[in-house]
Amino acid sequence: MSRRISFFLAIFCFASLFWASYKAPKFLTLGSVISEYKYVQPFDSEKQDECLSSGDDSSSSSMGFGSSTKKSSAKDPEFCSSMYWMGTDRKGIPLVDYATQGAKVILFPSLIAGIVTCIFGIMGGLLRCVQLPFLDSMIQIFAEIVGALPRMVVILVCALVLPRDMRGLLPLALLWAILSAPTAMDEAGAVTSRLGGARFVEALRAHGFGAFRIYLYHIVALNLRPVVVRQGAEVMMQVVFLEVALSYLAVVESQPSFTHADNINSWAELLKMGYSAVVVDEPSLHALIIGLGLIAFVVVKATSITNMARAR
Amino acid sequence: MSQWWIRPSIRVCSALFLPLLVPGIITFFIWALPGDPASNICPPERCDTALLAKEFNLDQGSWVFFTDWLAEAFHGDFGRSWRVMQGVEIQELLRKSFPNTMFLLLFSLIPITIGALIGAFEIVRSKWDPILVMVGIVPVVVFALISAAVVEINYAGSDLENQANWARIVMGALTLGFADAAFSGSLIGFRDTLKQEKNQRYVGVSILRGETVLSNTLPNVCNALIGQYRSRILHILSGLVIVEVIVGINGVGALLWKGTLSQDFGLVLATATIFAVLSGILLIIQAILECLVAMHIRKAPTDVRLAESV
Repeated sequence: MSRRISFFLAIFCFASLFWASYKAPKFLTLGSVISEYKYVQPFDSEKQDECLSSGDDSSSSSMGFGSSTKKSSAKDPEFCSSMYWMGTDRKGIPLVDYATQGAKVILFPSLIAGIVTCIFGIMGGLLRCVQLPFLDSMIQIFAEIVGALPRMVVILVCALVLPRDMRGLLPLALLWAILSAPTAMDEAGAVTSRLGGARFVEALRAHGFGAFRIYLYHIVALNLRPVVVRQGAEVMMQVVFLEVALSYLAVVESQPSFTHADNINSWAELLKMGYSAVVVDEPSLHALIIGLGLIAFVVVKATSITNMARAR
Repeated sequence: MSQWWIRPSIRVCSALFLPLLVPGIITFFIWALPGDPASNICPPERCDTALLAKEFNLDQGSWVFFTDWLAEAFHGDFGRSWRVMQGVEIQELLRKSFPNTMFLLLFSLIPITIGALIGAFEIVRSKWDPILVMVGIVPVVVFALISAAVVEINYAGSDLENQANWARIVMGALTLGFADAAFSGSLIGFRDTLKQEKNQRYVGVSILRGETVLSNTLPNVCNALIGQYRSRILHILSGLVIVEVIVGINGVGALLWKGTLSQDFGLVLATATIFAVLSGILLIIQAILECLVAMHIRKAPTDVRLAESV
């Protein structure tokens, strides 16, 4: 895949996620969905026509809860088309709402975790250029201890001790980024060591380059970029998978998730619905396809970011 | 780190430190959280917290609790569950779940070991890498769902509970062995590390001297390969929690998850410590292997007379 295509693909993925999280409803509502519309398959034009022709009857308002804006725009064409293009669940809630809410849950925490990992990677790379063997050894000891524990155990202990009002994906994502930092620092450090470390800096100084140009342009932008961006993209992807996994485990036990508020649903709900289609023949296979599609979307995003930043 | 023994020494120190650090941090947070630790077990409006505090050894402060717990844990007594199964000995819960976790862990080592061997002997060429990477990129939660569905479809409602349990363990092990790039990472990692070393100049010289490639490259890459293998096992330990809950295996990871969900500090304290001990054992094994490699290298002749060998 060429770098230009990867660049546009990455931009498209980010734009889609931003748009989805912007459009995500605050609550998942039954809205004005009529109960017999449960498990509507995507692109069901028959049901959509039915929705469009049903007008605003009284049953719609009696069923709704949460946001009132949906109720008022009940049977208008925009609502009906948006309602079914991903299908609905057993309550008649459009799956597009699950997808957008899930995007809202993961977008910023994963982005921040990715950026934090990139910063750690850059620090690790630059530290090898300034010849501080003591600090280097300290970082290696820190990496040894931090990297020695299974990450999920650390995440769960952190989730356990977080006060309820602080629960969310962001603290867990930041912790994941810190746990991933030693790998990123080590890899970036190896890149600058291969360059020559302090001798490379000295050589560039001899050419008359300033510190800003040496460190930020030659070392970070030209040499460290592929490694730190790949590490950041991987952590972004891992945070999304972590969220899906933790939410799924909570859903299995019918408990609230650590990663988001109770009134919000994550992509794990789609997987759970889809799982029922495979095991107990519920007509919700479309939810599984959407859930897996969203996971594939995240993989494509991470891959395209990595490709976009790779060395020429 | 110029001295060869520094790194193994750090590993051994970390290995000894981890089983103390993990319960230490959890104990610290039990007291750091708002409210009385006993009220975590049962709210004061429903229970006599003073009595509970005495019963669970929470009435004499964090240090006494920590040292007592550690001393008892050293003898295999991990205390009692606070919430998940209130009052039940954790030792009892672990007796049922620990073997399942160990079987799951050992079986999941098979795919990554096969991957490492395939990589080391370059059985699979690099043209297959995109396919391997694509399979490996599937997250553990998706693989676990597939495994759970397979077991559920085949054994739901049947009275073959023992067989179903083994099926869960095997499917769980396959999940851990292939998801999150465990197999593909092991294969590609081993192959690339050895390939890189084989391209070194000294290997060419050693071939001219009539020596084998492996005897020259292996001591130099052994530490890197051991490190890779340990990190794969750690990754598997991390995924254990997800697989055990989704596939329905009664293991230590599932207990840790239940404890976390219910804020059962007693259970989390015990299960997290077990994971820390497992990590510590891995570190010690790595340190021993590194020492053996270093001793082997140092035992090799230092004054090789090239003229004679040619």
